Amino acid sequence: MAIDTGILINVGFYVSFSIVFAILALGFNLQWGYTGIFNAGIAGFFLIGAYTAAIAITPPTPPSPGYPGHLGGYQLPIAAGAILAMLVSGLTAIAIALPTLRLRADYLAIATLAFAEVVRTVAINLEPVTAGTIGIIGIPRLFTFSGTNSALFTTGTVVGVGAVIILVLFVVLHFIVESPWGRVLRAVREDEEATMAVGKNTFWFKLQVFAIGGALMGLAGWFFVMALPYLEPAGDFAPAVTFSIWVMVIVGGAGNLKGSIAGAFLVYGLEWSSVQLKDLAPDALSPSIPYIRLMIVGALLIVLIIYRPEGILREKKRVLR
Amino acid sequence: MAIPPEPESLSAWTVARGGRGLFHLTRRTRRQLLRGGVACLAFVGLNALLAARFGVSILNYTIAGLSVSSIVIVSAIGLTLIYGIRGFANFAHGDIIALGAYVALFVNLNGLSLIWGTIAAFAVLALFGILFELVIFSRLEGRGPVPPIVASVGLGLIIQNGIRTLATTRPWLYPVPAYSDIPIAPGLGVNPIRHILTPAIGLLFVVSAHILLTYTNLGKAMRATADNLELAKATGIDTKRVTYATWAISCSFASTAGVLLGLTSFLRPEMGLNILLLIFAAVIVGGVGSPWGAVLGGLVIGLSQEMSAPLFIWLGQPDVIGLVNASAYKVAIPFIILIVVLILRPWGIAGRPPAFVSRVYFVERITQAILSRTAKAEQADGDDGG
Repeated sequence: MAIDTGILINVGFYVSFSIVFAILALGFNLQWGYTGIFNAGIAGFFLIGAYTAAIAITPPTPPSPGYPGHLGGYQLPIAAGAILAMLVSGLTAIAIALPTLRLRADYLAIATLAFAEVVRTVAINLEPVTAGTIGIIGIPRLFTFSGTNSALFTTGTVVGVGAVIILVLFVVLHFIVESPWGRVLRAVREDEEATMAVGKNTFWFKLQVFAIGGALMGLAGWFFVMALPYLEPAGDFAPAVTFSIWVMVIVGGAGNLKGSIAGAFLVYGLEWSSVQLKDLAPDALSPSIPYIRLMIVGALLIVLIIYRPEGILREKKRVLR
Repeated sequence: MAIPPEPESLSAWTVARGGRGLFHLTRRTRRQLLRGGVACLAFVGLNALLAARFGVSILNYTIAGLSVSSIVIVSAIGLTLIYGIRGFANFAHGDIIALGAYVALFVNLNGLSLIWGTIAAFAVLALFGILFELVIFSRLEGRGPVPPIVASVGLGLIIQNGIRTLATTRPWLYPVPAYSDIPIAPGLGVNPIRHILTPAIGLLFVVSAHILLTYTNLGKAMRATADNLELAKATGIDTKRVTYATWAISCSFASTAGVLLGLTSFLRPEMGLNILLLIFAAVIVGGVGSPWGAVLGGLVIGLSQEMSAPLFIWLGQPDVIGLVNASAYKVAIPFIILIVVLILRPWGIAGRPPAFVSRVYFVERITQAILSRTAKAEQADGDDGG
């Protein structure tokens, strides 16, 4: 019996991109949901991770007519790309955090949003390093197959590896946030000054969390180039990515790890199904479907933050002992 | 009983000025005027030096900077008023600017001139501002700075993509004749719209904002509300009405900024988002909540961005470092200034340091926290015992 692999591959794409967003959402949830650090520059850390990984693992691409070429050709192993992406994103997060983390939430949001936009401008324009608007192409896949159904196998392995990553991240983060260290994070979120008063160096905790969150966003960047073996800086890392992650975390429930994963699958499901609907919709409507989807995302943000700020899966209630 | 006659004395003006007459300047005003004068002289001197060293044509960048500054200032005044009164950063302000530009375009396309379009946009956006507060932001009062930021991002997404749906993504152009630059020196020209009309309207808005905030009851109520909400309420100010009025003013200022921005190039749905970071930088550099700070910050941000362009062009030359697309990097300059100001003077260059107040407040908070913990612990112990 012949299976229509097209649909399977499409669903595989949905799952793998949902995993990318789930990793981003876990990073943001650790920062905002648990510690109360409001990061508006998610797209920037995501971009840095994606480019670091792509540059580290891609074989040499000499400039040719129509392609400017980019820094790289190191051909490192793919796992090394993941570690480098986390490292570089995490270190960038520390560099951004040192001057800005003492600021009020709204100043921090503006500073991080500006950071993400500057990073994106640099990625678009710094052609010798990033190949400009064309982006990096020919990024190696996790596993290569040949013969019939090779595309299906490639997508399947990406989904499999992604599922393992999500599972590992969930378990590790669960132990982290339930540990005494995680308790300090929630204390910082609830009342930073009181936490200081009981002798905790809150800046140090916030710095650690910001760096870990940034590293997770870098990991998401690496997994993004695994799921889609080329980069396109203008659209993939626009501020809209950051806003989508906010929706995912708010929908799922801030301060709830399962919620972030569920939120990512739900909200990206909205985007994915809107793309699928595009072929079914009448011709007059179909070009505006992505915009209508973003309007729905915006309305969702407003309605949720007003009426159900705790999300679908609310944070576990903890009793003072 | 006979009412004693009012003593005939000082005029109302003199009384209002503490008996010192109309043109008396307080010491603070004198100091500010002096600083402003020094800054102006330094700026003129810098430009004279640049012109002497690199030729008159380099002043084109200064003129462009003044034009960008005007647009940033008109938007930043609106943003800083909302920031001061409602205590959150309105991330939708850029999209509100774009909405104003498109409303003016819509009126213009339906047969009225662009001037009527601008006036209509001014009025329509005032209504929109009131609507935003009524439907969204009044429900988020007292929930800290982050929920309104999230809601404003949602609002921005709705506005931006609403424009994309209704007006399509094609770049629109106001039907204004393309005036050529007026040459004033060899290699130096000013554009009647970009370099004369825009700064003139910017100045008009700055002056009207100053008059509004200094001499009208509404303006004084706005400043009082921004300064201390509880105190303003206790004094009998209807802070709800003041908030609605502030939203109306903020959004109508933004609409005119949008028209000015649309006149400099095309109208695009993302035009406002692109300028939003400049406006935020201007507001923070100047000091949040202070309209005069917004003016100062807007000048610093707009001028430094445009005047850094020749530097990047120089860096782009192959014999220097050969940076590709060098002029695109000028957008990083406002960000760098923003970060430096946030590190050194987070209260802005025009604001006043709250150091003493916050230190006292801090000690108070810690004491309170410890006391409440102790009380809770004692209560818990008591419960266990009983």
